[in-house]
Amino acid sequence: MNNQVMLESTGKNEYELFFGPAHPGSGNFSVKLEVDGEIVTSARANPGYLHRGFEKLMEYRLPIQNAVLSDRICILEPLNWNLIHAEAVDELMGIDVPERAKYIRVIMAELSRIQSHIIWFGVFSIGTGFDTGFKMAFGYRDYILDLFEMITGGRVYPTGYICPGGVRRDLPKDASEKILKVLDKIDEMVKLEEIENPVLQARARGIGVLKLEDAMRLGATGPLLRASGMKVDVRKEEPYEVYDRLDFEVPVRKEGDAYARYMIGIEEIKQSMKIIKQALREIPQGEYINPQFKKPKLNVKMPKGEVYVRNEGGRGEAAIYMVSDGNTKPYRVKIRGPSFLHMISVLEFLLKGVQIADVPAIYWSMNICPADLDR
Amino acid sequence: MKSDLKNEEKLLKELVSNYNVKGRIQRERRIWINTDKEKLISICKFVKEKGFDHLSAISVTDWLKEGEYEITYHLWSYKRKILLTIKIRVSRKNPSAPSVSAIWDRNAQIHEREMHEMFGVEFKGNDDLAPLFLENWQNSPPFRKDFDWREYVKKECYNKDNEREIVYHE
Repeated sequence: MNNQVMLESTGKNEYELFFGPAHPGSGNFSVKLEVDGEIVTSARANPGYLHRGFEKLMEYRLPIQNAVLSDRICILEPLNWNLIHAEAVDELMGIDVPERAKYIRVIMAELSRIQSHIIWFGVFSIGTGFDTGFKMAFGYRDYILDLFEMITGGRVYPTGYICPGGVRRDLPKDASEKILKVLDKIDEMVKLEEIENPVLQARARGIGVLKLEDAMRLGATGPLLRASGMKVDVRKEEPYEVYDRLDFEVPVRKEGDAYARYMIGIEEIKQSMKIIKQALREIPQGEYINPQFKKPKLNVKMPKGEVYVRNEGGRGEAAIYMVSDGNTKPYRVKIRGPSFLHMISVLEFLLKGVQIADVPAIYWSMNICPADLDR
Repeated sequence: MKSDLKNEEKLLKELVSNYNVKGRIQRERRIWINTDKEKLISICKFVKEKGFDHLSAISVTDWLKEGEYEITYHLWSYKRKILLTIKIRVSRKNPSAPSVSAIWDRNAQIHEREMHEMFGVEFKGNDDLAPLFLENWQNSPPFRKDFDWREYVKKECYNKDNEREIVYHE
């Protein structure tokens, strides 16, 4: 009401609007919008609400402690970040990872990707006013969290399950059947997601269009780039673990709008399920961790050197740059979260010139997470 | 499994002969080169034309003993499938480097903005180096090696007169 009075008395339609950090859909993040009537004229991201300084914290800790810390980089896909950290230490120290461990790592990373994509569907639904989708998503996600609890011991945070040298524990005896059963449930979920919802289509088609050249210029990676028509996937172009032996497709769409991104999300869940089923079939018997690292060792000196490890996280290209000066602790760790560019440069670009009502739809169609932006 | 490094060797040879840089091939798909900041822009323009259109990250390493910052540019080429890292060294006192935001646009601009905030590196030619994460930060840039956050927290957050918090001072 006050706004109305002010607008009428000054005769101006321009004002500032804060999307987040207290907005129910924004997460720990805020965007300052300059609005003219119903149209956003400019947007400026204001991150920092989740800044924990992991890069600095890791300089003070041993790799075995950092493995636990690495879960927290992105709350919604902790196992993927676990994996990247472990790979960086493995490469830096020249550790051989047993075959079985590699398969377990892939299975866990893909399960983590599925549940992160399910949340993506959930928050996108709530962003477009489809509340049931949100509840549905979190319900189905719980099945995967049950698996995490069974395998790693933690529901949300695996507390360093994927560690340098392999994984902390072997898969339990009946894990394979249980995972397959959960995948059947996820299949149900995907079928629900695929129902052509006219309301959702009306809200998402042609909204937040990201053309390929803009996507490249702004540094978009992962699902965003794939939805804009470029076939890229770190798992294909630079296969890590056992991805080169597994058969899966990289979904691509040309439109680049919110609906294309949403469809990419669904397709990727299907591909991840395919990967898990193959990995469960092919997984060999043997050690689950390099015997040298079975008992956690402190004070193992890392050789001098530096590595840059890239992975395909659920949200895009995730990477760690690790430098060692020959001590037990890393000298410098740089964490490259995919949301860092998605939430600042891409988001600011996409929000320019849209209607206020479309802001949440665009925001959540991008599969972003303030945690790996702020680190 | 040994794979041939033909593409990597060819690219490195080209860079060495054109710009007289020091470089090494770490493994498949990984090239690291060292250069100085005067040559940075021309090398960046050259590799951009060679297909390195994705700037994956910009990072700074603080080598306290040597009094130098090492700025690293991690570039990925979707076409060649190679990660090229360009490294330059600048002095820790009044650190400055030319901005690559004219080459990789907003992508580079945001990365430089973060590094400016965390290490205090001045990127010449970057039009917006406003703070990203920290609010009203008056201290020295927090990711420098000589900034001790434990001391800082003790001083700023725990009160000696409070008997519950005195343990942090003992």
